[in-house]
Amino acid sequence: MMNSIERIASTLKFEKPDRVPVIAQVFGHAAAVAGMNLGEYIQDGELLAQCQTKALDRYGYDAVFALMDTYVETEAVGSVLTYFKNKYPVVKSYALDQDTDPDTLSVPDPHYAGRMPDLLNAAGILREEVGDEVLVVGCVLGPLTVATQLLGIEKALYLAIDDPERFSRVLDFATDVVIRFGIAQIDAGVHLPVVFDPSASPAVIPPMFFSEFELPRLARLFSSLKAHGAAANWLHIAGPVGPVLPFYPEAGVDIANFDYCVSPLVAQEALDKTVLDGNIKPWSFVEAAPEEITLESSRLLDQFAHRGGFILSSGCEIPPESRQENVAAMVMAARTR
Amino acid sequence: MSDPSLNLLVEYLVDGDRKRSLNEVKNLLDSHVEREKIVTDGVEVAMKRLETKCTVEQFNLLEIMVAGRAAMEVITFLYPQDRPSPPTKGTIVIGTPEGDVHDLGKNILKMVLTAEGYRVVDCGKDCPLDMLADAVKREGARAICISGLITPMIPLVRQVKNKLAERGVRDVRVIAGGAALKQATAKSLNVDFVCDTAFDAPGYLEKITGRG
Repeated sequence: MMNSIERIASTLKFEKPDRVPVIAQVFGHAAAVAGMNLGEYIQDGELLAQCQTKALDRYGYDAVFALMDTYVETEAVGSVLTYFKNKYPVVKSYALDQDTDPDTLSVPDPHYAGRMPDLLNAAGILREEVGDEVLVVGCVLGPLTVATQLLGIEKALYLAIDDPERFSRVLDFATDVVIRFGIAQIDAGVHLPVVFDPSASPAVIPPMFFSEFELPRLARLFSSLKAHGAAANWLHIAGPVGPVLPFYPEAGVDIANFDYCVSPLVAQEALDKTVLDGNIKPWSFVEAAPEEITLESSRLLDQFAHRGGFILSSGCEIPPESRQENVAAMVMAARTR
Repeated sequence: MSDPSLNLLVEYLVDGDRKRSLNEVKNLLDSHVEREKIVTDGVEVAMKRLETKCTVEQFNLLEIMVAGRAAMEVITFLYPQDRPSPPTKGTIVIGTPEGDVHDLGKNILKMVLTAEGYRVVDCGKDCPLDMLADAVKREGARAICISGLITPMIPLVRQVKNKLAERGVRDVRVIAGGAALKQATAKSLNVDFVCDTAFDAPGYLEKITGRG
């Protein structure tokens, strides 16, 4: 029997692993599993690692996540967040405005800035805990998502239209931020950081905008991570990602997440040599019955049985309030196949 | 019916070109085209064109934002605060429930509804349900549109009809949209309709009233 790392490595080579890997996108849900508050979980690396380990023991899937929320980078640059007891934080004030000269900004040091050190701490603890048995996944945001978190999404997108040169420099700065943060995560112990880029979704921007602004920067990010030892390049863009999937190989993507609204056939056709992960509807982990999750998992496993190169997963984050028996049902579907 | 004399304005608006749109509106006013006609045959036609484009190619927020911004500037230019308001198809209350500070979707919906000829009362983001329900009653709204990006909003949205009923409001349509809410069905959300895109809201309103 393979361990999780061997299983995922085999999948990346489109070989036949002992079973299909299953990675539940359990982030804040790990706090719920451990009976802890989400607000503490995303501010305390040690607690985060403990909760992730408990969730791994509970579910037995193939990856753990050193991942807090989507505001770590912007906070490190200077945005101010509001924290809550039991939900994800929100941005109270953004670090930049449209008049900020990006050249005056300095890239934060992940060992000192905001919660970056806490996330590195979580990464180190998790790696020590699971060694090379289970995949330890960190997280950086994509450059476009960082830019939208630095300015606020409306200001950022209007800036892209009204002053593309300045916006490009903000994107370049954002790319530098996430390269440095991603490399620090690898040094701290993650096997790879997933690149989470919700603002680059075709629900938000047209594919031409993606190819012009985001693609070259994603390529620079992924080549830097790979050069520093990332086990694979994993890109996670939520929503109707079909139109931009063909750009992924040029960005250097090895694993592509696809959301519930993307047909597995469309994803397979767009990416014949890229590992795909997805795509159970996140909300169904809250509302559906375990039998429905089992059925949906089996349907996906059938659809990828011939192709291979598949990791069973949700389309996006499994909501913190999800029913544990639903997460367990997805994991069991892969494990008992 | 679209009017060929407004074709240029429609093009500029669909492209989101604010400067050219405003210049063209000035030309049209100089040619004695009525303000109301510029809205109905110019701005509303542009929004329909954009809706068709988004259906054929793929809906994305950026193009709607840019066109919507140009449309809002045209409407504000035609009807500044010291002029009587334009005729409307009715009042719609919109908001993002308490706990959700993401308001891009709501802001886009506001632009789309305004450009389609509705009067929009924007209750903002992170808005308590009681405040939303009070606004519906106070403003005599035809519908309330709730936008939500995150799943913890779902239990809140289920309460909206009860909040309206507590105020004796029973004939107002409740419409939901946004990344989290559109994963659920109208029945499970206890609403009348779930939008996939911002254009679905005016589409639904037209369907239930049989008018555009």
